Amino acid sequence: MGEDEVLSVTRRTTRSSSATAISTKNDVVERIKSTHICSPSLNDLLYGGEPIDLDVLLSNFPGRHPQIRELLQILGPSNTPMLPIFVYGGPSTGKTSIILQLFRYLNRPFVYSSCRTCYSPRILFESVLNQLSHHRKNATNGYSSVKRCEKPSDFVNFLREALVSMVNRLKENVGKSKSSKKRERSIDGHMVYLIFDKLELVRDWDKSSSILPLLFNLDSILNIPEVGLIFISSTPPDTFYSSMGYIEPVPIYFPNYSEDDLRQILVRNQAYPKLYSSFLDAVLRPFCRITRRLDELSAVFSSLFLEYCKPLNDLAVVPNEDLKRRLFSNLQPHISLFLNETFRVLSQSSSGAERTKGRELRGSKRKIGTHDESDELDFHMSTSAKYLLISAFLASRNPATLDASLFDSRGGSDSRKRRRKPSETAKGQKEAEEEELLTKGPGSFPLERLLAIFQCITSVAEDYLGEEVQVEDSLEVEGQDGPLMSDVLLQLSSLCNANFIVKGGTCPLEGSTRYRSVVTEDLALKVAKSVKFPLAKYVYRR
Amino acid sequence: MKKTAASAPSPAEPSPHQEHGDDNSLQPFFILHRAAPDKSDRKPSRRSVPSSPASPDKAVNSDDHDDCSGDLSREHLRMEAFQHAWSDIETAIQGVLQSIDSATFEAIHSWISESFSIIRTHVSSGFSEIAQSFPAAVDSVSRRLFTGLILTKNVELFDDLRTFEEVGRFLRSHGCHVANLSSMDFVAKNGIGGCITSLLRQFLATSVDAPDMLTLSSWYNNQVNNDTPIVLIIDDLERCCGSVLSDFILLLSEWVMKIPVILIIGVATTPDRLRSILQSEALQCLYPFKFNLGTLAERMDAVVEAILVKQSPGFFISHKVAVFMRNHFVNHGGTLSSFIRALKIACVQHFSMEPFSFVLRGLIEEEIQGSKHGALPKAIYNCASNISPCERNKMDEEAVQRLVPEIAQLRRLHFLWSIVVLCLYEAGKGDEFHVLDLLCEALDPEFYASRAPGSFTQETGHTKASSPNDCFTHQHKFTMRKNGFISQVMRKVRDLSESHLLSLLKRWERHTADIIEIHEKVKELQHMLKFENCQQVKKDSVEIAKIRGLQNKSNLGRDMKRVNDKASSFLAYLIEKYMQPIECVPSHEIVCFKNVKKLQMALVGDSRRQIQVDLLESHNILSCSCCRNDNILLSSMHDTSIMYSSCQEHGDLVNLHDWYQSFKRILLCPNSKKRHKLKQSPVSKKRKIVDDSEKLSEVVIQSRFCRGVAELQITGLLRMQSKRRPDFVQRVAFGL
Repeated sequence: MGEDEVLSVTRRTTRSSSATAISTKNDVVERIKSTHICSPSLNDLLYGGEPIDLDVLLSNFPGRHPQIRELLQILGPSNTPMLPIFVYGGPSTGKTSIILQLFRYLNRPFVYSSCRTCYSPRILFESVLNQLSHHRKNATNGYSSVKRCEKPSDFVNFLREALVSMVNRLKENVGKSKSSKKRERSIDGHMVYLIFDKLELVRDWDKSSSILPLLFNLDSILNIPEVGLIFISSTPPDTFYSSMGYIEPVPIYFPNYSEDDLRQILVRNQAYPKLYSSFLDAVLRPFCRITRRLDELSAVFSSLFLEYCKPLNDLAVVPNEDLKRRLFSNLQPHISLFLNETFRVLSQSSSGAERTKGRELRGSKRKIGTHDESDELDFHMSTSAKYLLISAFLASRNPATLDASLFDSRGGSDSRKRRRKPSETAKGQKEAEEEELLTKGPGSFPLERLLAIFQCITSVAEDYLGEEVQVEDSLEVEGQDGPLMSDVLLQLSSLCNANFIVKGGTCPLEGSTRYRSVVTEDLALKVAKSVKFPLAKYVYRR
Repeated sequence: MKKTAASAPSPAEPSPHQEHGDDNSLQPFFILHRAAPDKSDRKPSRRSVPSSPASPDKAVNSDDHDDCSGDLSREHLRMEAFQHAWSDIETAIQGVLQSIDSATFEAIHSWISESFSIIRTHVSSGFSEIAQSFPAAVDSVSRRLFTGLILTKNVELFDDLRTFEEVGRFLRSHGCHVANLSSMDFVAKNGIGGCITSLLRQFLATSVDAPDMLTLSSWYNNQVNNDTPIVLIIDDLERCCGSVLSDFILLLSEWVMKIPVILIIGVATTPDRLRSILQSEALQCLYPFKFNLGTLAERMDAVVEAILVKQSPGFFISHKVAVFMRNHFVNHGGTLSSFIRALKIACVQHFSMEPFSFVLRGLIEEEIQGSKHGALPKAIYNCASNISPCERNKMDEEAVQRLVPEIAQLRRLHFLWSIVVLCLYEAGKGDEFHVLDLLCEALDPEFYASRAPGSFTQETGHTKASSPNDCFTHQHKFTMRKNGFISQVMRKVRDLSESHLLSLLKRWERHTADIIEIHEKVKELQHMLKFENCQQVKKDSVEIAKIRGLQNKSNLGRDMKRVNDKASSFLAYLIEKYMQPIECVPSHEIVCFKNVKKLQMALVGDSRRQIQVDLLESHNILSCSCCRNDNILLSSMHDTSIMYSSCQEHGDLVNLHDWYQSFKRILLCPNSKKRHKLKQSPVSKKRKIVDDSEKLSEVVIQSRFCRGVAELQITGLLRMQSKRRPDFVQRVAFGL
């Protein structure tokens, strides 16, 4: 039903903008200068840059046409009051950029503030006010805001003041522009829009209980018809409202892109569309199964495409079936690599052509040796820290009741025998226990238990190491009994700092601090291997 | 606490007397309420620092005084010598470390300028939004943050704090805007505001009322040189609060088009840790590159090589000290700074304990001047003349004369030793082979004794008599330790491939350049190798028709083996002839630090034991006149010490009530004999307390009791009562 209206609106605006496009050609420089001098204020609130028309806007956002039309419908023609809008949808679905481009197309003034950049109520308030009053923080004003505003009530007052004066000026401006055709393009109508982006972050702020209702209520509190409110959030509206008695904003949902949309978006702006689309034929489907997020996909594809192009000399080539097949077989090993690994670290030398070879280079950079990469511990820890890490791991993994049997004088081998014995029924029970252990994650333990295990381990380790240690033993100075024990607490604190062991937050004086080891089994095994400690024997399994 | 004390030695040392004068400073913990130790030997030393040690009026004074001033002046000299030696060592260390990291720094800088230009190309593509508050319309790829991960590869962060500062300084000198952030800026309490505040404070140099990124961007755009990137260095990823850091990264990525920020993050363990610390969304924003700093092992090798092997700063460590330091490093230290600190402690102790240590100053000076002999005796004379007369008697000119050639000999032998060690190190270089291990073995006097039954002079005479090529066929008589590092090296040399052997010989040539006799032989070896090669080639060309590959190869192998064997036996010859540990050289005591016990005390320190001892025998420390009686608890003693002594009678659980009662009894029933004594004592304050003791109210006693319990708990001798047993406290420490 609104179709016609929307169309008429668009037609009108396109006409006006095309007219301005002609006018801009004549005296761009002059006008920029004049706006800077005469009224820098009003134009600052526009998107700036060259205006675009609706077709460009729509073609820029394939797969988003219904949303754009809906938005246009709600925003209405110039100078029509509107209800607040709540735009939501998953991350990287084009919410912010569509809104911004929409205003670029509409040529209406707006105030944008992202709740990420404005990470506290005060900064959010001041940012809005600064923009409305065209205030720039700089060295001359000591980087201060136009007004100091911390309380929501102050904000409402200041905001009303600023908005009213702004609207008045806009109205004047409209009058002026009507009289002199020249200024027609600069601002369309006398509406001002406030855009709050990343609204979901506000929920985490301390005083969110007062800020969120304030923002949602802003429309009715201000009660200025010339002000439009737009909220952008990545979470649905249900997560915000708590039936506080204000008018719910109009929700507009941005669904995730479909595979076809993604293809259209990705192919856009590519230098070699033919080649790229054949590349997408190969990779888009498997990756879409994992993520539909445009940012993730484009990041992965940008490096994967380089890999794809590697065998080619001329990128402008239009690939035929045969070439496609060859390129695909070339690419295949990399696809699975990229599928499994979203985060890749490149080393400096691998930048440029070899960029995607990070993994191989990582291996080759290490000293050539027989060790497999995964077996090596590639950072330094002192020996006692290693043992401490192992004992913390054991303390977290094993139930405390097992300690006695594991670390008694007969050593680990005996307890292993004991573990094999239990009957079938007991086995079932233990399996359940095991499962519980897994779901619970690493357990916490008091310091005393850690130290006890540490002492057992270090004494046992000396027996185990046998020949290997003899060299070291002979180098050991006499009169040093238990040389590993001296600085344990110091080592413990450095392990805590490295985030290997997490400390429970209790008063240190109470003496009942509990620790928890958060290292993975792989790392623990690596560490154990580096000190030749038979860790596997001590880990409780079934 | 220990760690803070281990700060990298600063160039400006505190006064030497503080370094050495009180051995308290070497203990890791102070005891509660500890009184100053004997005033008699400390106060005057402090006072006399400014006055010249050889002031004439002092010399005229009484004998007693004279002795004292002699002591002082010697101490002064020693400390001067120490400072001199240590400053040399320190500059050497700094030089070595800088040279290790410089390549990485360069790489980081070039990466930064490269990434900056990439950011700029993104920006220039469409740019009116810079001054606006809304984000630029760009695709997500160009919104990624360039992130350099610096892998420090050491769980202990301490060494690398300095490195990060240096990275900052380096980049600043190349025109970047740099801010150093630490994990303290990323705590959950302050949230994201904390890091932005610290960022702005560093860039703007003023505190901003409401810190936000707009401020930063306006600052950056007003800068004259805003064609350089902003580099943020976060030095310890592991300690940062993950959520705050993630928020910060997301924020930066929103702004990266307007403010070209490049992150540098220090990672102590593996880059994978990023995945567990950051949120995935933040992880997406990063475009990471990694850089390796020199590993701890590399740094250690370089430092040890430079300080303990190459340089002869006039200070050496004995075998046992080396072994102790090595074990301490491997087992506990984990940082280079802790090793350097240990070295420094050893150095201080050596210079303060060894009466002749001031001579070293002369040694060093002579080295600097480079003159052959003249300066050394002169320096010693200078030192000697600075010494008070009584000292001069002891150390007459003859003694000095005797000392001179000995020291010269010492230096020469050490030089030879160091050359051999360097050669061994060059040969053994590779994974898991560290100089410190080699050093421990090379310094072992027993090893030397086992291989050189005759005296050194005999040995040299013998070899000189023998043919010059003897060294290549030399059968070493010493028994090597089975898995010793030296034997490892020998084996390795024997198995080296030709090209490796050639490069090894080249390196040997470089090291031995100063000693002609060894140098010649290395050259000879080289010639031999080349000759073998030529012969091989010739033989090959002749025999190529006759003999096929396999045989040929084995032949070649045999020939190669010959040279390898020669090299290896040459090494054995070097070891036998020249590698004389410092401890086997006469009068090494002057330069060699041997006291392991002292170093151990200073480094490890059995603090809990010390606390217990001090508590049980507090009168030894307080040395007051009121509580001399042994084994009797007196009310004049310190509360904590009374309480600790009285709880010795209990088992591992101490009944609070009983304990309190005994404490009260001791306070309220002072020994009559003691009171008598006290009346004569000049300390009026103590008497007052005792007089008041009758009036001590229950409340006061209780509060004193509680304070005592708290102090014992803080010192870790006691644990608070549990909920299960509210009237018992638990003893934690038993025995000494």
